[in-house]
Amino acid sequence: MNAIYVLLLVVSGMGLSFEAGLLGPLGEQVGHLWATLSIFGVGTALLWMIRLFTSKRKSPDWSSLPKWQLIGGLLGPVYVVALTLATPLLGVAMTMICVLFGQVTKSFAIDYFGWFGVERKQTNPLRLFGLLFIFLALCLTYIGAKS
Amino acid sequence: MTLIIVLAIASGMALSAQAAINGQLGQKAGVIESALLTFGVGTIITGLLIFFFEPAHDATLLTVPKWQLAGALFGIVYMIVMVAAVPQVGVAIATVATILGQMFMSLLIDTQGWLGNEPIELNYWRIAAMLSVACALVCIYLANRESQPKETALTTQAS
Repeated sequence: MNAIYVLLLVVSGMGLSFEAGLLGPLGEQVGHLWATLSIFGVGTALLWMIRLFTSKRKSPDWSSLPKWQLIGGLLGPVYVVALTLATPLLGVAMTMICVLFGQVTKSFAIDYFGWFGVERKQTNPLRLFGLLFIFLALCLTYIGAKS
Repeated sequence: MTLIIVLAIASGMALSAQAAINGQLGQKAGVIESALLTFGVGTIITGLLIFFFEPAHDATLLTVPKWQLAGALFGIVYMIVMVAAVPQVGVAIATVATILGQMFMSLLIDTQGWLGNEPIELNYWRIAAMLSVACALVCIYLANRESQPKETALTTQAS
């Protein structure tokens, strides 16, 4: 059973690269913001339908939620616009490594400092090593692109 | 090129900040609900930006071949798989499996020049970079396994 889930995860990870690979050329043709809108517009429509048909829980009381938790929606477009800008110039693999580097650095910082109400965690030296390896990969693709 | 690299790294940071915030929100409001909220706000922001800043283009979303619009589906599928799989296999395996798929496919798209992308030759530097990512994945896996039932960090990359 778990093997199926792992396989699904690998395939869905491939899907993310596909998404980036589609976005780059699309953004070149119709404009980067339009390409971003296609992601968010379609995504919103689909999620709304999914929620309509599956969710049993009552819709949450939005006004009772802390307002800063709503800014997640501001950060999403930053990522997608950057993706459409970067993939034509860097290629999909290098873009993904850059994103990965940013992600691991930031989530490291979030855990370390306990930002956004996340519980503070002890620094694990293994995560630092992971970060170093990703940085190394970034340098290697950079050299590879130059040569 | 350097500027774009910095931008891409910054966007990765934005992504994990978003994941952390959505993790908090999801606990109260539900995963689908918080994703819907994120996408809804994202749509509005992008719409406003287009309205005021986007120059006109010859091609529009309605004139390009339809398969080019499929990007959003992959993001949603990813999110659903993540929601279903994380409780079963844990964050550590989920993270590593997705990145593995991501790296493999991005290398394939680059090398083959699929989906209208410029083909990039697979040289030794790129192979070495992938090996380095593999080492990083081993480290991330081991580190995540030690600090198990936390669901933050690298999940919910969908948007």
